[in-house]
Order: sequence, then C-alpha cells, then structure tokens
Amino acid sequence: MPAKIVLAGLGHEYVNPFTRERVLALDGLDLDVAQGEFLTVVGPSGCGKSTLLGILAGLLRPTRGAVLVDGRPVKGPGPDRGVVFQEFAILPWRTVERNIAHGLEIQRVDRSERAATVRRFVELVGLKGFETKYPHELSGGMKQRVAVARTLAANPEVMLMDEPFAAVDAQTRITLQEELNTIAQATGKTILFVTHNVEEAVFLGDRCCVLSRRPGRVKTLVPIDIPRARRTWTLFTSDPAFSRIKDHVLRLVREEV
Amino acid sequence: MLRREAVMTWLVVLAGFFGAWSLMAATLPVPAYFLPPPTAVVSAFGELVRKGILPTYVAESLRRILTAAVLGLVVGVPAGLLLGMSRRVADFFYPLLNFFQSVSGIAWLPLFLVWFGFSERTILVAVNYTLLFPVIFNAMLGVRSVPPLYVNALRTLGASRWRIVRDVVLPGALPSIATGLRLGLAYGWRALIAAEMLVGANGLGFMIFSAQSFHLTARIMLGMSLIGGLWLVLDYFLLRPLEEATIARWGLIQR
Repeated sequence: MPAKIVLAGLGHEYVNPFTRERVLALDGLDLDVAQGEFLTVVGPSGCGKSTLLGILAGLLRPTRGAVLVDGRPVKGPGPDRGVVFQEFAILPWRTVERNIAHGLEIQRVDRSERAATVRRFVELVGLKGFETKYPHELSGGMKQRVAVARTLAANPEVMLMDEPFAAVDAQTRITLQEELNTIAQATGKTILFVTHNVEEAVFLGDRCCVLSRRPGRVKTLVPIDIPRARRTWTLFTSDPAFSRIKDHVLRLVREEV
Repeated sequence: MLRREAVMTWLVVLAGFFGAWSLMAATLPVPAYFLPPPTAVVSAFGELVRKGILPTYVAESLRRILTAAVLGLVVGVPAGLLLGMSRRVADFFYPLLNFFQSVSGIAWLPLFLVWFGFSERTILVAVNYTLLFPVIFNAMLGVRSVPPLYVNALRTLGASRWRIVRDVVLPGALPSIATGLRLGLAYGWRALIAAEMLVGANGLGFMIFSAQSFHLTARIMLGMSLIGGLWLVLDYFLLRPLEEATIARWGLIQR
C-alpha cells in the first residue's frame, strides 16, 4: 500500500503572540499514513497535535522538513484535504443545506447535482428536517454534523479532524463516533484524527500515533487490530483487546505528561 | 414591534404629557410666545403645509441626508472593507479614522464656511463628511472582527480570495456595517440641522433657526418634533428592516 501522506523531519517553530517567546512545537517528526487509513493522534496538551494538523491542511508553513500528499509537497490549503475544526467552523449566515453545499459551490458543481449530494449527506449525518435552519438554531452536536457533512460533501481524499467532538456533550459524542466509524468504512477515506481522548483514539483508529511532549515527535505507533464492523461502543468495550490497547496507549501518554 | 401593552402605555404617557403642557400654557403667567400650547404647534403645522413651506423644507432635508447615506453606502462601505483587509493598513488608519470621526462636521463648519461660503456646498460637505467617517471606520472594524476560523475553513474548501470576501468577510462584517450606517445617519442628521441653521435657505434647521428671530415658538417646537419624528421613521423603515433581514435572522444579534 503506497503512503498517502509522508511527513519527514517535520519541525515547526513560532512566536507566541502574547509572551513573545519562541516555541518549538514540532521537531524531527516522521510519519507515514497509508491510503485509506484511519490514523488517530494523541499526546499531552501542547505537544503540537493541532500544529501538525494545521501544517497538513496547508494553513501553517512548517519551518523544517517535508510534507507530501500523494508524493507532492503541500504548498497551501486545497480541496483534496478537508478539515473539520473543533469549534464548528460553519457560517452563521448560511442555512444547514447551504453550509453543506459550500464546498460544492466552490468546485462549481452544477445546481441539480449539488442538491442531490447535499440531500445524501444531510441524511447520512441525520439532519433531515433541519435543512433550512440556521446554525444558531442548532445544538453543538448538530453543528458539528453540519461541519462533517460539509467536508464529506466536498469529497476530499484526506480528512483532517481536529478534536471535532471535544465540544459536544458525552451522549452525542458517542453517537458521532459510531457514525464516523460507519462513514470511514463506507467511504474509505484517509483520515487523520487528532484528539486528547485516548478511548476515542482507540475506538476510531486503525493505528494510534502517540506524540511526545513538546517539541512533538512520534513516540510510538500503536496498531489497533479490531475489525471496523465490531466498533460499536457496546461490542467494543466488551472486547478484551480494547482495554488492553487503551491501557497501553494511556501509559504511553502518561509517560509524557 | 411594539406590543399592545406598550402602545397603551405610550398613549397614556403622551396624553399626560400633552395635558400637562396645555395646562401649563394656559395657567403660567408668561407671554404666549414663551410657551405656546400644543394646539398652536398643530395650527403652525397646518399653516406651513398650506403654504407649501413645510413639504419643501422636509423634502430638502431628507434629500440631503439620503444623498449622503447613498454616498456612505457606495463609497464608505467598500472603502472600509478595503482598509480592513490588511492588518497593517487597518492599524495605520485606526487612529486617523477615529480622530476624524470624533471631530464632527459641526466643528468643521467654521472652516467650511471660509472655504465654501454660505452655500449649499457647505451643508453637503458637512453632512457627507460626518456620515462617511463612522461608516468607513465601522466597516473596517467589521472586517477585523470576522473570526479567522471562518476564513481558514473556506480556504481548506479551496475558496478563492474573492469568494472569501463575498462569502465570509462581507456577511461577517455586516453587523458592524449596520452599526456604522446607523451612527453615520444619526450623526449626519445632527450635522445637517446645524449646517442648515447657519447657512440654509431652506430645510428644517433653517426653519427653526429663522423662526427664532420672529418669536415663532410654535414653529420651532414643530421643527424639533419633526427632526426627532423623521429620525424615528428613517430608523424604523430603513435600518431596522436591514437588520431584521440579515443579522437578526442569522442569530448574530439578540432582540
């Protein structure tokens, strides 16, 4: 399987705008992500998880090293890499369906095809009946469904998710995680999912990448050999492999705190 | 919208106000021109409408403020948006715009009189100046207040610069643009009355100032009521619908 994403000797340094200190967020990070892989990334707070995602999205320029997607260096943001942000970055002045259609509008997909695609993803993320609502009329969980649907509808090859479920309530989070698992299985997209929640990382990932404390580099890559079909919370938590892997990852993260 | 109880309350308050006013005008030992009764204001209204003076003056004042509003919309808003696009440019212009916003057109009037004389041009320059600065300033602030997160989200969807301006910057700046227009119109309306007082040959400001020489107190009170009343109408029919259709609907302001 060829590597979809290659990060080599990645380093990133920036100046904190408040303290004016230079911060080395990432240093010498090497990582390959396979085509169609679901890779979760965990690590202690401030280890550069979000920086890593920002660099892959093309929103940040690394100060050292190489970022390749399909063998080509990343030069900026592009529709081949969709991003789901933690803070539901959907536009308050667009209705649910117009937010979901936004990527398609940008790609100049014609009106009828756009409508059909939007309808499909509205159903996939369970927003039927809310198409003409504005974001301020929705709960946090529903806003994040809109954001996920917007990214999926734009059909990127790679999905970058930055703690997307951190700001929704626990019950909704469980549902969204199970839905994302189904979506990942159905679409076969390459997904990089950053989280500080170890359980979530183990539940969702094909592999879990544990980052070291700042400056972040890859500490360990933990394979999670539990079939996707078995990944509902009731089945998953009763699987002895789950608690074994979870404890292992937790220990690795703790060593870095 | 005013609710039914609010309307009732207002009717009672207004009835009390006009009752007290009539009573004072009838009983206080002052000349009639010092405090004319409400009925005198109403008959002044009738007289000025019959003579055709009032419709002309109101039309002139409204023409001036609305022309300035259109200019503010066509020139001020784009200028403010443009200035707001670059952090460095915005930082440079911030104190400058803030300064000129606070030096109102009224403070400029002496200078405008030297430059343009007692002419229509002086009025227009004063009003346009006064209205323009809050519009530019707030449009600029509006652009700065758009969350970078929204811009980044659009960039990751592959949006061009122009599309980011159209889909994110413009709607995101709209609450602030509306504030700027509202302030600009309010300041401009005040400046207009002041300018008409000094240099006008017509308009509401001219009407109340010239009435003073002839002790036409009822006419002054009528003019003042119209200045306030017309503002309420402008605000209610021009600015509120704009806010209702956009930022209120998007949940960006709470009513």
